[in-house]
Amino acid sequence: MGRLFFAALSGGLFGLGLVIAGMTDTRRVQGFLDLFGGWDPTLMFVMGGAMVPMALAWAYLRGRQVSLLGAPLPESPPSKITPALAIGSALFGVGWGLAGLCPGPAMASITFGGMSGLIFLAAMIAGMVATPRLRALIASLATRGHRMDIRRLTDSYAVSPQILPEDVAAIAAAGFTTIVDNRPDGEIPPEVQTEAMRKAVEAAGLAFVVNPVIGGAITMDNVRLQGAALAEAKGPVFAYCASGNRSSIVWALSQAGTRPTDELIGAAARFGYNLEPMRAQIDALSANRG
Amino acid sequence: MPIEWLYGAAGGVMIGIAAAIFLLANGRIMGASGILGSVVDGTAGRSLSEKLVFIAALVAVPGLAAPLIGRAATHATGSVAVLVVAGLAVGIGTRLAGGCTSGHGVCGIPRLSVRSIVATLIYVGMGALTVLLARHVLGLI
Repeated sequence: MGRLFFAALSGGLFGLGLVIAGMTDTRRVQGFLDLFGGWDPTLMFVMGGAMVPMALAWAYLRGRQVSLLGAPLPESPPSKITPALAIGSALFGVGWGLAGLCPGPAMASITFGGMSGLIFLAAMIAGMVATPRLRALIASLATRGHRMDIRRLTDSYAVSPQILPEDVAAIAAAGFTTIVDNRPDGEIPPEVQTEAMRKAVEAAGLAFVVNPVIGGAITMDNVRLQGAALAEAKGPVFAYCASGNRSSIVWALSQAGTRPTDELIGAAARFGYNLEPMRAQIDALSANRG
Repeated sequence: MPIEWLYGAAGGVMIGIAAAIFLLANGRIMGASGILGSVVDGTAGRSLSEKLVFIAALVAVPGLAAPLIGRAATHATGSVAVLVVAGLAVGIGTRLAGGCTSGHGVCGIPRLSVRSIVATLIYVGMGALTVLLARHVLGLI
């Protein structure tokens, strides 16, 4: 209940702040973006004002693991600047400039923005719904010419970026007896989704374990299932996701306590997977098991 | 100093407090595109209820307040083509970029997130370029 109360308080205050700041007025937003027609700096004051409480909030949370209501805090964002970030931001800037609306004000002005506001909102939602499919399309173009890469974290466990059904023969030849699928189907085209991979893996006579891990939202069930796959495997285990990062994280969490945390983090670090942010969780799990 | 700048700063502080509440209490980033996007594409999971409540309040409070304080005019363009193109660009762009003005700007920059700073520079720059071209060169808006 507490969470819902604070969600309502936050949403309401956000909306009121947008109205008072004039951010639901497209003239004011476009006036800020228009450097050659009587520039309106109001938006800069809005942004500056908004950043002060947030800077304090981040400073207060430094070193903490959970929110005041005990909810997990957002993961630290990856520092990598991806093409999706750059292209997406550019596209957003074009739409923002054209209409003077961004997602917050578009929602805040539903009741008084008239037909224009509703048309914009409907198109924006359609774009949001279409984005996962666009991503899958881009991913399918990107998987052309990809190379499977067996990264042996230990003698009994390896991770890899996304594999194709035709890679399974090479994985079997390398001595693996179990393949773990850590990639959610929503991220990829049907040719490499779970059912297609299951057929290829079972045809090669290997065991197949489905354990989709959502980036940034790893569950304890994910960890237990990964651990069970390793415990029950007859030989070395091969796991894949998009880059091998999630397969490394669930593995390290599932093996907490079986070997020192430094060793778990170090094994992943050899292949460029940074598990340092998970250190506290690995230590906590290992203490529980010990 | 024009009074509108003060209103801007005051409204901005309220927006920042709203974002701080969502982070401190619920442990979530107050990003409008992420909240709405995950609700409509079905990836909200267990956070669905708090996101729906957030959106309901974000719609209802301005609905009551804007007419009361005489700020209910949005002056949005009436051109359906511009609105549809802009809406699609904002919807797809913010989801690809993983955030918008609130998520990357209000929440990400004070965290000194490099991604958020880069995203904000790009969307403000492209926004300014778009207004320059669409308003002063092409006369679209």
